[in-house]
Amino acid sequence: MTSHWCDFQNTDVILHCGSNSVENHPVSSKWLEKAHEQGARWIVVDPRYTRTAEMADVYCPIRSGTDIAFYGGMYRYIIENLIEPNRAKYLAGEEVPEYNFEYLLNYTNASYLLDPEFEFDPATGLFSGFDEQNKTYSNHSWHYQVESESTWDTSESGAYAWAAGEGVPEFTPPVVEHPKRDMTLSDPMCVYQQFKAHYDRYDIETVCSICGMDEKTLELVYSTYTSTAAVGKAGMVLYALGQTQHTYGAQNTRAMCIMQLLLGNIGVAGGGVNALRGEPNVQGATDMGMMVNEHPAYLKWPNTSDRSSLRAWLESQTYSDGYYTNKPKFLVSSLKEWFGQAATVENDYGYDWWPKVPKKPDYTMISSFELMQQGVIKGYFNWGMNPAHSAPNAGNVRRSMANLDWLVVADWVETESASFWKAPDMNPADIDTTVYFLPAALIYEKPGIILNSGRWMQYRYQAVDPWDQAKPDYEICDLLWREICRLYKEEGGANPDPILNTKWDYYVDGKIDPRPVAWALNGYRTGDSDFSQGKVDLLKGYSELGADGSTACAMWIYSGFWNNNDAPLDASKQPIGRRNNEDRSGIGLYSDWAFSWPSNRRILYNRASADLAGKPWNPEKKLVEWTGDAWNQIDQADFVAAKDGAAVPPDDKAFFMLWEQGARLESYGMEDGPLPEFFEPFESPVDSNPLNGAVSSPLARFTDYASVKKGDSADYPIIATTYSVTEHWQTGGQSRSCPALVEAMPDQFVEMSVELAAEKGIANGDKVRVFNNRGSVVVPALVTKRIKPFTVHGETVHQIGMTHHYSWAGVFGTRDTVNDLTPNVGDPNTQVPEYKAFLVEVEKA
Amino acid sequence: MADKAILYDSSKCTACKGCQVACKCWNDLPSPTGKNENVFSGSYQNPPDINGITRMIITLEEHDAPEGSLKPVAWAFNRRSCKHCADAGCVRVCPSGALSHDEETGFVRLERSKCIGCQYCSSACPFDVPRYEESGPLSQRTTVEKCTGCLDRVAEGMAPACVSTCQPNALRFGDRDEMIALAHERVAYLKERGFSDACVYGETEMGGLHVISVLKYGVEKHGEVVSPKMSPTVAMQEVMKPVTAIGTGLTVAGLAAMFALGVGYKRRTLAYNPDTQDTIDVNTGEVVKHGDGQDELSVKEHILENLPLGKGGRHE
Amino acid sequence: MSNAAVSVSAEEAALNQAFLEERKERGTRYIQRHSRQARVTHGITVISCILLCISGLFVFVPALAQAIGADAVFAIRMSHRVLGLVFVIVPLVSAIAAPKGVKHIFKNLFDTWDSDDKKWMILFFPYLFMAKWIHMPDQREVKSGQRFADGMLWLFGAEMGITGILLLLQATVVDFGATAHGVFIFLHDVGFLMIAVFGLAHIFLGGGIFQPYRGTWRLMFGNGKVSESDALYHWGHWAREEIASGEHVTEEK
Repeated sequence: MTSHWCDFQNTDVILHCGSNSVENHPVSSKWLEKAHEQGARWIVVDPRYTRTAEMADVYCPIRSGTDIAFYGGMYRYIIENLIEPNRAKYLAGEEVPEYNFEYLLNYTNASYLLDPEFEFDPATGLFSGFDEQNKTYSNHSWHYQVESESTWDTSESGAYAWAAGEGVPEFTPPVVEHPKRDMTLSDPMCVYQQFKAHYDRYDIETVCSICGMDEKTLELVYSTYTSTAAVGKAGMVLYALGQTQHTYGAQNTRAMCIMQLLLGNIGVAGGGVNALRGEPNVQGATDMGMMVNEHPAYLKWPNTSDRSSLRAWLESQTYSDGYYTNKPKFLVSSLKEWFGQAATVENDYGYDWWPKVPKKPDYTMISSFELMQQGVIKGYFNWGMNPAHSAPNAGNVRRSMANLDWLVVADWVETESASFWKAPDMNPADIDTTVYFLPAALIYEKPGIILNSGRWMQYRYQAVDPWDQAKPDYEICDLLWREICRLYKEEGGANPDPILNTKWDYYVDGKIDPRPVAWALNGYRTGDSDFSQGKVDLLKGYSELGADGSTACAMWIYSGFWNNNDAPLDASKQPIGRRNNEDRSGIGLYSDWAFSWPSNRRILYNRASADLAGKPWNPEKKLVEWTGDAWNQIDQADFVAAKDGAAVPPDDKAFFMLWEQGARLESYGMEDGPLPEFFEPFESPVDSNPLNGAVSSPLARFTDYASVKKGDSADYPIIATTYSVTEHWQTGGQSRSCPALVEAMPDQFVEMSVELAAEKGIANGDKVRVFNNRGSVVVPALVTKRIKPFTVHGETVHQIGMTHHYSWAGVFGTRDTVNDLTPNVGDPNTQVPEYKAFLVEVEKA
Repeated sequence: MADKAILYDSSKCTACKGCQVACKCWNDLPSPTGKNENVFSGSYQNPPDINGITRMIITLEEHDAPEGSLKPVAWAFNRRSCKHCADAGCVRVCPSGALSHDEETGFVRLERSKCIGCQYCSSACPFDVPRYEESGPLSQRTTVEKCTGCLDRVAEGMAPACVSTCQPNALRFGDRDEMIALAHERVAYLKERGFSDACVYGETEMGGLHVISVLKYGVEKHGEVVSPKMSPTVAMQEVMKPVTAIGTGLTVAGLAAMFALGVGYKRRTLAYNPDTQDTIDVNTGEVVKHGDGQDELSVKEHILENLPLGKGGRHE
Repeated sequence: MSNAAVSVSAEEAALNQAFLEERKERGTRYIQRHSRQARVTHGITVISCILLCISGLFVFVPALAQAIGADAVFAIRMSHRVLGLVFVIVPLVSAIAAPKGVKHIFKNLFDTWDSDDKKWMILFFPYLFMAKWIHMPDQREVKSGQRFADGMLWLFGAEMGITGILLLLQATVVDFGATAHGVFIFLHDVGFLMIAVFGLAHIFLGGGIFQPYRGTWRLMFGNGKVSESDALYHWGHWAREEIASGEHVTEEK
């Protein structure tokens, strides 16, 4: 999240949308309750009345998958009620306390002029640049009009002298474009006007008809939440998988960003776009870029097109302005860590040893199983995940796995994936896959670094020894690595260089250890470091990184978390080990507790918490303040506060992680459109979309796979969504092994309205069969008043909710696999599956 | 030390059941471990009630929303466990001393090693709390189970396990007076926020509970016992002990006196001659009675006839 | 029967003299009062009742329970259940085996009270303390006071049996609810008091601890026979009837 857990207390309005944090992140309730007690209003928008809704002041039901309509309606409400009535006044110099025009005009791209070819066609639901054949967009027309251009000064005294320095790989620096702006927001091509025109269709009546909402309640939600547009007020949106697990999940996230930008809620205390991450270390896994096209620390992995060589990477990825002008330093330092001494400027720091991700085939998760069916993938390492239970269309996953020659599963317990051939719907006699199970140590059985959703990094010490032969993951890796290297050395093989040149020296006293890994993540000067001798010269932070091979750093964003050269092996003496919980800030930043990446910054984009002159919007909740000659940094500044020892006076560059340094209401960075546009889920109970001519997203991924077996609303009229309960974690490998947790929630269930239950003759606790084209499961019913049928376009639509923690593997509790029902389609940006809205039918079993 | 209390605030409780599991962990209470032995209750409330291995549960009740609410339903949570009554029926009826009041805190202590499993406490509890665990080859070894207020923790200066684990501060632990004051403060706040039925529970019930609750939708909606009363059978049972002691004592004393006064009693040997219908003293040959008629003396004469008063009767 | 001698005619006296001579010759006469089955049933019931009282005390008296520890109390509690079953089942089986006997017992229990019965009852308490001075009116087979005391034992014995069985069921298979449970316990406690009071009195008198009643223990724990003299003392009307009929009379030298 852009904020952190303790910051919840600073908010004026809480908006839960796509999150049930009270149930699924119980610790959040402590800080939410604090805000609530101090007078914050609390809104929950959710398909069902959750315990979060019980705690809140306002509850607004929403049909699963219609979030963008809800946000679009909010934009229109803001424009109609706050911006348009006051714009002229503000431009005339009058005070407008109820809306923060200064923020909108200066810190966002509202005033930027878009390419004249930019266009959206409601008849087709398509933006300009659509390639019908490949079902992709060219984002060319989504860019800004350019006012002027400039170039980097790489001369010896220039700001970018480093780019021409010795050891820096050759690349042509990007040209700095200065976009055209209209500070009156009246040019028809300015982002604001295009935006306004786009969302003009999202009137309250239409939104309610789509979302199945009640107009009065929706207006109450809009008016309550948009009250945070007032200067000095903060609203925060909390979301989780309810927003992301859709075929337009990334657009949902964008939609929240836009809402927060329009309301001036990003960068301020008590604001932000707050993703509540799931299991511990989902944040860490995300940072590490655990996806096929991602490099650690939010850099792009090499591919076969615009990142096929180091030069190509540097030229396509380096920003012309802002902090990402430093990307060459990040990448070269990463290569230096990856290949150590073998990485030199002459061999492009080993860039070519890195595999390049092809356009096709697609090795992302959903597609992987398709490739198994096609016989492309023959062996599979399944490490810390359980797709035979958790992946969408899990039955298809199991059938795909049966085509593998071998499968390796590293996990804590024998999961469904480790025993996929024993599933009730599989015949072991027909399956030739050799399955290897590597018992992994639990988090309590090994030391290591863990991150929470607020980006706080903490060191966790080992509590107990691993059970039996279980080993920490890094130890399993080490054993594999050494054996692979031995085989390469002794027997040779195809393309040995990437393997044999890889630096692998994370040992302490001859044993693999997470602490030297921490050195690598933090970064160090290569000249004076030799891990094999236990020698390291740690960097203070990422500002010390070079693009010339003098530094190595595997994870630039973490740099600074482990920077004490006096005790490099002692986590407690490092910033990550800080344990002072004194609240110097008075607003719960707790900067002396643990380390928050980047640079121990607690609230991202905190420049936006103050006006153009550096005066905080809310003097009670200051993050940074320009005192006239320097920046008073209550939180670590997320902007250039000083350069070469001199303070940098305030300007409008509030978002320096973007080249234009103003936040994007419109963004050319998305695969599926520059503005969030409402589409129905892949499987929708309605066959029309009043907002545009396309019902579902034209860019939804994997929809053409035969295994998807799209269900029709005529056969399957009921919307289903999945979610978790407090007592269990995901597929339950750990939590279903705890008798007390199984006792506290002994089963999964299908939650349904009293109305639907009556229609189907189902009583509470009855066994119910839920089915669609992909599968059929029997689970007990939980009939409740907390779910009500929706009225969508005048018709009654039922929705059910299912929990998904149980499956056939397990000692204490088992049940059918709910993910046999979910569709294996995904978002075009992230490939995240659509678990949150699909179609089923139910009957009494 | 002043009396202690656990404060449960249903308006802060999120029903996460962390307390429920923490209670099991700290107190080493088992959970069923048979495959699918635990059966889903049809609600988030699992297990459905406290039992011989579960000292506390969080309850969840769904109601239609109160008039004027912005929300469609009212979901009322409560903490179901021993309330630690000041006037505790269970303590009064416990024959073995397994249940007693802790003088330091006022909590109702349970010493299972003393429990004889008579289950009298169960009939005496207005909250239906004490539960039984059976063990032994014929599941006959029954002992009571109930919340002990984690007195072992409290003695070490810690809060009970449920309180320590509570994230939203719905559970607090401290001096009873202070908890009551906090509860009233919270109820005032809730009333301001539109929860007109919000109330404090436990201040006076059963002589004052040591679990003080803030019930945001009122007593009934949270499934709490409205005006709990001491079961009349408790007083009845209590009366029986002294009555039995006195009754038996008097009986024994009376019998002893009778015995003493009867010592040395001698009786004539009698025989009956059916031919003459005479009852005869065998030794003297005296006829004691003729025929089988009803006695003709008055009661007074019976009492006085042989008393050595004045002229005296014929005492043998 | 008054203590005063009755004067009789000389002829009658001579007959009586001859009768006494004959009696001396032939030995003491005994009347069979209780059958073997009755005595066995009574014996088992008495033993189980006494043990039940003792084991019950460990639940009833906290100090006793605490003194011997939970495990011992547990063993005692379990024995209470077994004894309780004996206490309930043996009389029932016996009753089923001898329905006539049961009828006889209850006929006596609810027999009408004649003048001697009423007088006896009034005199009973003074008598207990003044046995040396007070002579009681003759009685039929079961004394009026005995009918009352036996009735109490029957009543509360049955009440203990029933409440005991209910408590056992409650502890094992049926849930009657907390209030019912409390009521059962209360009734069981009341029954205990009554059994204690009447049981002690019964032992005092029936066991012959009370001097005037000495020897009566033989009626239940001996051969079930009562000597002519004792029978005339206790149950004058009945004794005369039995002797006259001679049906249950035996003679022993």
